[in-house]
Amino acid sequence: MTAPIVLGIETSCDETAVGIVRGRTLLANVIASSVAEHARFGGVVPEIASRAHLEAMQPTIEKALKDSKLTLKDIDAVAVTAGPGLVGALLVGVSAATGLALGLDKPIYAVNHLAAHISVDFLTHDEPLDPTIALLVSGGHSSLLQVDDITASITKLGATMDDAAGEAFDKIARVMKLGFPGGPAIDALAQTGDAQAIDFPRGLTTSNDWQTRPYDFSFSGLKTAVARYLEATPDYAKANVAASFQEAIVDVLLLKSLAACKATGINSLVIAGGVAANSRLRALAMQRCEKAGIRLRIPAPGLCTDNGAMVAALGSLMVAANRAPSPIAFDADSSLPVGVISLS
Amino acid sequence: MTISLAIDTSTSRTCVAIIEDGALLWSGHKDGATAHGPALPSLVSEAIKGHAIDEVVVGMGPGPFTGLRIGIAFARSFALSRNIEVRGVCSLDAIAAQVTSKDFIITVDARRKEVYWARYVDGVRVGNPAVSFPIDVVGNEIRNNLFPDLIALVALKQEFAEPIYLRHPDAVATSDR
Repeated sequence: MTAPIVLGIETSCDETAVGIVRGRTLLANVIASSVAEHARFGGVVPEIASRAHLEAMQPTIEKALKDSKLTLKDIDAVAVTAGPGLVGALLVGVSAATGLALGLDKPIYAVNHLAAHISVDFLTHDEPLDPTIALLVSGGHSSLLQVDDITASITKLGATMDDAAGEAFDKIARVMKLGFPGGPAIDALAQTGDAQAIDFPRGLTTSNDWQTRPYDFSFSGLKTAVARYLEATPDYAKANVAASFQEAIVDVLLLKSLAACKATGINSLVIAGGVAANSRLRALAMQRCEKAGIRLRIPAPGLCTDNGAMVAALGSLMVAANRAPSPIAFDADSSLPVGVISLS
Repeated sequence: MTISLAIDTSTSRTCVAIIEDGALLWSGHKDGATAHGPALPSLVSEAIKGHAIDEVVVGMGPGPFTGLRIGIAFARSFALSRNIEVRGVCSLDAIAAQVTSKDFIITVDARRKEVYWARYVDGVRVGNPAVSFPIDVVGNEIRNNLFPDLIALVALKQEFAEPIYLRHPDAVATSDR
């Protein structure tokens, strides 16, 4: 018997995304982004995102089928992001997915966005994903997770107390007038800067913090420090600020990730989410993990940002693990906890 | 002979029916202004049992956006999965079809203390639907407590391809702040 074909739908933020996998083989990964429509507002506007999802949903499904040279009759199961995310945005994907599943009379897997981000690595690396520590960093999330079983057991070790890492990139990019989203712009600018030029603070790394909240993050102090530096230094070197700011974020993300690996004895780290596309994070993670003897896995940059392949990948893992599908009637959950990997 | 799956989520009621050439074969609804998400698939899974659906007809609003989109997104992908047509209809017209008065106005809740509304004379809508404060909607008969009639929804020969939003998203460009 060939591996089942799973179609995954993701609409938790501003990307309308559909992916199709057969077992662990990626067949299609189509993303329609409304990011350009949000740029002039400096961030994602939920109602604009929701309207764009509805408009893009059918064409994106059709394109994914075309790319994979399949028809809907070939689909064995549907997977969809049930949360966390923007509730109005999630509901477009959820409704499209339940419509498909009912119309096709196929099972549906209502899955967790964060777990999906991690599980996409299974399309890239041919080995068991778990157990692993996972660092999930994006514009909406910054979490450190212990993944004992990707389909059944994920524990949150820590998360950001204020901004998500990607959000900090966006906000600093706005202050420096680099546009939205800020991550790619700062990454590019930092290439020519000196990361040691300015000593920006590393949030939650005092000895007391390591005792009380070792795996939590805070980026608001860093944000303020950068803003103050820019005010106090009118002729600042843009590239140096970008590189030093980026270094401060990347450094603290990796310090805590490696500490989690050490404390749990799990010598494996998966880095996922949009910020995992950051070139400095990838390079420094490789260096430090190699030194510490930790197996590092980062999905290809195109699979780090929100996409449908990751949702299909998690669906495929659920099928392979014989997990029960979700009921056809369920609600999107904007704050779905990471421990809830799929709705039952 | 055409069997239609009719769906409307433009009001606080999630409405589903199966209609064959004007005859009601199945109907069901669930009330709740934020219940459309789970209510719709639950109703449809009951509705379609034993029926070979030929087309989907869906209310395109106006109505509160999040609930409205649930019906439309669902209807489109259900139709896609069965390789059948989906047709959009003005939801207010499907509400108005139950009223026999000569000159009346239909209003539905638009949140933010406003209503979506349209005026009907001799059974025909006068102009386009609008969104206003209730105090600004003036007529000798205003009906504000009705839900869509899905037999009428299917009977209306309309082709609204896009949702009837009537409001722009709230957002201020950073350059205008």
